[in-house]
Amino acid sequence: MKSLLIAVKDAKTHLKDRKAILMMILMPILLTVILGSALKGMMGGGRMPETILGVYTPEGNAMTASIVQTLGDDALVITVEQAKSEKQLMEWIEDREVHIGLLLPDGWGIDAKERAVILPVSGQETGAAIIRQLIETYAQMSHAITNSTISIMTEAAVLSSKDRTAIQSELAASLEKVVNEQRNYVNEPPEEESVSSMQYYAAAMAAMFLLFNAMAGGKSFHQERRSETLSRLLMTPTTVHSVLAGKFIGTILFAWIQFLIFMVATRFLLNVDWGSSIMQILFITFFYIFSVAGLAMVVAAFTSNEKMADVVGTMGVQVLALLGGSMLPLSLFPEIMRKMAMATPNSWALTSFTSIMTGTPWSTLWLPAMVLFGIGVTSIFISSLRLRRRIA
Amino acid sequence: MLTLSNVKKGFGAHEIIKGISFQVEKGESFGLLGPNGAGKSTLISMICGLLPYGAGEILINGKLVGRHLKETKQIIGVVPQDIALYPTMSALDNLIFWGRMYGLSGNTAKTRAKEVLEEVGLTERAKGRIETFSGGMKRRINIGAALMHEPQLLIMDEPTVGIDPQSRNHILETVKTLNEQGMTVIYTSHYMEEVEYLCKRIAIIDDGKLIVSGTQRDLSNRLAGGRVLKLTVDSLRPSFIEQLKQLNGVEKVIVQPAEEIDVHLQSEMEIVSDVILLASRSGIAIHNMQLKEANLETLFLQLTGRSLRE
Ligand SMILES: Nc1ncnc2c1ncn2[C@@H]1O[C@H](COP(=O)(O)OP(=O)(O)OP(=O)(O)O)[C@@H](O)[C@H]1O
Ligand SMILES: [Mg+2]
Repeated sequence: MKSLLIAVKDAKTHLKDRKAILMMILMPILLTVILGSALKGMMGGGRMPETILGVYTPEGNAMTASIVQTLGDDALVITVEQAKSEKQLMEWIEDREVHIGLLLPDGWGIDAKERAVILPVSGQETGAAIIRQLIETYAQMSHAITNSTISIMTEAAVLSSKDRTAIQSELAASLEKVVNEQRNYVNEPPEEESVSSMQYYAAAMAAMFLLFNAMAGGKSFHQERRSETLSRLLMTPTTVHSVLAGKFIGTILFAWIQFLIFMVATRFLLNVDWGSSIMQILFITFFYIFSVAGLAMVVAAFTSNEKMADVVGTMGVQVLALLGGSMLPLSLFPEIMRKMAMATPNSWALTSFTSIMTGTPWSTLWLPAMVLFGIGVTSIFISSLRLRRRIA
Repeated sequence: MLTLSNVKKGFGAHEIIKGISFQVEKGESFGLLGPNGAGKSTLISMICGLLPYGAGEILINGKLVGRHLKETKQIIGVVPQDIALYPTMSALDNLIFWGRMYGLSGNTAKTRAKEVLEEVGLTERAKGRIETFSGGMKRRINIGAALMHEPQLLIMDEPTVGIDPQSRNHILETVKTLNEQGMTVIYTSHYMEEVEYLCKRIAIIDDGKLIVSGTQRDLSNRLAGGRVLKLTVDSLRPSFIEQLKQLNGVEKVIVQPAEEIDVHLQSEMEIVSDVILLASRSGIAIHNMQLKEANLETLFLQLTGRSLRE
């Protein structure tokens, strides 16, 4: 009973956190829109109007070159015209020769202060908004990946041999590869794969962003300790077990809210078909969320403060998301990587979601459910041993 | 109500609490005094069942803390030294939450929260988030959260640290009223005046040991003229200190930093003129001279040679 009160308190607190809402609820919906619709255009039924984008980059670096190439990708139905000077770009805009103008300063993508300038032409506000989303997502993703790359490299103490710019151009190259691979995936969909790009990314984003609850749950535990409320809780007639259970259920509660909002939004705003069996989706989600809440306890038990939980959690989510097919379709992976993916909870969730979307019998869902359940139980077991000792 | 007998606690090899015994009767207001690091908070954590104690016994209403944790925790309301509230929740929601952690039903918690807000004088701010509150207001809600379940024993760990005089007076009044209504109170503070105002009985602890305990009258009897003459001089000479110690009626001489000398006086004897005479004979100029009446502060100084507040 008290666990439930603690859980509700946690979920409410989380819902009041604007950053959490942006990160956990809006971001996955947005990414589904962007990734899904960009690829939908390629599939022939594209609704995005032909857009002419004028770009001017004074010097250019690996990052700007890479984004320009990405924008010019056929999948996006955008024609890119490179201007020779800022003046020329302005003239194009004035003469309405382009629909949108984009100014990329030299340091863009390397120095966070250097911002791209979008110059919309009247009547093309929608196009400008889409371009802005694309650029921001690109910058954010590359930033997140660069940062974790840098931190990993710092840990490995090999940073001395590389500077930030070098890493950045390497990153640009690898991002380009990612984009190309994605294009491949769309051009020749592997056989059997009959989910649409929207469906795939809805399932992938759900699997990935639910994982963030592992980090958030771990952090909330440290928060409770830092703010002395954990001590106070333990001075009330509430047992350590109730508190731990409360934190666990709290993570589950928020994850469910997050998932249901995501599912309803993608279903009704983006028209994503989640398949004919809602029960199957909820069944798998139940076990997936259980395993994620278990991982939250692991994060709580094996990190010593919020910052560490944040770093470890973010890095963990990225690794799991990459391994588990939330960023690139699993079918592109070599055999060994596909085997490794089976160790990640999100790959089990993702593959179950996509098979439910195309229709699958219940019998195929028992294995993923049991694996997810196993991950959850193991996590709870390992972490509660350690947490109980640490609290008492 | 509360009995501690020979309670000890160590962290690793460090012994922090070195055998403390005292008793608090029902309806009493009991002051726990001691300098930073004396072990007050540690002692309170053990009474509240948060920390297991190393040796000895703590009994609350005859029940052993540790064996009957649920019952003993229910009897106590604790005001922790640090603000232990949820910053993004409203004052009202915080109070309700803590009330429910003490087993109040939803409805009772709601009514009780409104009463408590009234008691701590923050009814108009009920819906405000804790993070938007001033230090004093947070402290008042921190106390309110301990009052939700109407505890028989209220334990307050330095509840007035770093707040404005107005909030402080409000808190002192609230505690006084609660005690007069029959609640047993244990009050911890560095501030002598607060303890002198609130508490009938007092225990002074230092370095994990109980130095002295008793009613305020007991303690001032013990002091029997424990006045202190504070001197500020231009230069300190060992010979001067030695001579001071020889003076009739001087119990103890303690040299403080910044050329300050505390001369502890034994009795009602008039000694000021002797001191002045001695100084002028030794060629030492006295810049300042102050005669302090006996109080807890001087008692503490006398017993430990240290000041309560650093
Ligand atoms: N968990 C712990 N591990 C090791 N030492 C501790 C721990 N908790 C407290 N101590 C030590 O115990 C001693 C007493 O601390 P305590 O907090 O009880 O003092 P206090 O009387 O409440 O002081 P203050 O007036 O500053 O609040 C200190 O020296 C402190 O460093
Ligand atoms: Mg303390």
